[in-house]
Amino acid sequence: MIIEMNNIRKQFDGVEVLKDISFGVDSGEVVSIIGPSGSGKSTLLRCATFLETIDGGEILYMGQKAALTNQNGEAVYVDHKELTRFRNYCGLVFQQFNLFPHYTVLRNLTDAPMVVQHRSQEEAEQTAMELLAKIGIADKATAYPFQLSGGQQQRVAIARALAMKPEILFFDEPTSALDPELTGEVLKVIRQLAEENMTMVVVTHEMPFAKAVSNRVIFMADGVIVEQGAPRDVFGNPQEERTKQFLQVFER
Amino acid sequence: MSFETMLSTMSVGMLRTIGIFFLTLLGALPLGMIVALLKKSRFVVVRAIIGAYISVIRGTPLMLQLLVWYFGPFYLFGLSIQGWRFPALIIGFVLNYAAYFAEIYRGGIEAIPVGQYEAAMVLGYTRTQTFMRIVLPQVIKRILPAITNEVITLVKDTSLAFTLAYSEMFSIAKQISASQTSFMPFLIAGVFYFAANYLVAFVMERIEKALDYYK
Repeated sequence: MIIEMNNIRKQFDGVEVLKDISFGVDSGEVVSIIGPSGSGKSTLLRCATFLETIDGGEILYMGQKAALTNQNGEAVYVDHKELTRFRNYCGLVFQQFNLFPHYTVLRNLTDAPMVVQHRSQEEAEQTAMELLAKIGIADKATAYPFQLSGGQQQRVAIARALAMKPEILFFDEPTSALDPELTGEVLKVIRQLAEENMTMVVVTHEMPFAKAVSNRVIFMADGVIVEQGAPRDVFGNPQEERTKQFLQVFER
Repeated sequence: MSFETMLSTMSVGMLRTIGIFFLTLLGALPLGMIVALLKKSRFVVVRAIIGAYISVIRGTPLMLQLLVWYFGPFYLFGLSIQGWRFPALIIGFVLNYAAYFAEIYRGGIEAIPVGQYEAAMVLGYTRTQTFMRIVLPQVIKRILPAITNEVITLVKDTSLAFTLAYSEMFSIAKQISASQTSFMPFLIAGVFYFAANYLVAFVMERIEKALDYYK
């Protein structure tokens, strides 16, 4: 398993957002997480990528514990330095891209590998140019984010995450901030990564995409995993009433 | 007194005015950043002290503050204030301007979207790296117009040094004007301030343009 999250609990101001969630992802797996807003999908990703701290449960990357619950029932994390190592196992692509506007596209891809991972400039730039070629915007290396379309920015954001050579890549509604005609180019890149067996977890509202690309679909609602399985089962023959309700909305 | 004599007498004062100006910026620009960061400290006491400092500085005239810094040591502690004039002047200016800069910095820092911090965090940048590499450059770009305003005010505020009888350019202008019953020194002073601020505006505009390469 690349990541394993066991019995995760998380609350905001007394409201339980994640209620004892357990979930793991194998190497090469592509998992889609679907569900209504407020179901805890994004929070789950944010806990997995250490943007939020869990209140209970444990998080393991590559079989090593990054966070666990002690005898007093409190979640404890490994120390700062260790956490940076764990952070480098995972990458996150945001809904709002969050590129660094003062850096060129190339610098967006090379800065963290050089500063955080202490790679040489030549190596970082070579990796970056390969990634840019792969996502089809090598000609924009010297452009600044504001000069790119939303779809291009999101592709750069994916490349920025990949430049860190993560074991797993998380996507938090990667196409929700894009105009409909721009979602295709981003989904194409994710599809391409799936074909290369990149391990990925995608929170999405793009049902056809989830159906086509993922090995497994997880349906979340109200802080729990209601149902999960192969896409054809979850979409074609949902077992739970809540899942059926949710999917009906999309079929209309 | 000839025009040339006036000008050369006043030029000594101009150098002193320029001295106050640069020393204040040298002290207040970095100190303001420290104050801005301390205002976001997790310790309540620190936040309270900084809050009170900013509030007192902004709520009282700079002229009064200068008098307090100069005469305070004598009236409060009975200390000799010989040779204290210039240090008191600079301390007064620096602490005053640092408070205003701090508020500008704070506004700039708070305007940076939280997504920038999160992106940096996921990539593994430390807090210091995030601030220095990602946040600060964007803050500087955002706050430049507000900083320009403060710097222009500072050029004019240097004339307040006359409160402590420090003979910078404007104090000298007043002396000459009184002794020579001439209006000319004020005209010279006016041209000097205007030219200085024209230069400030020009330089700041250049810097703004230089940072125009991104949005």
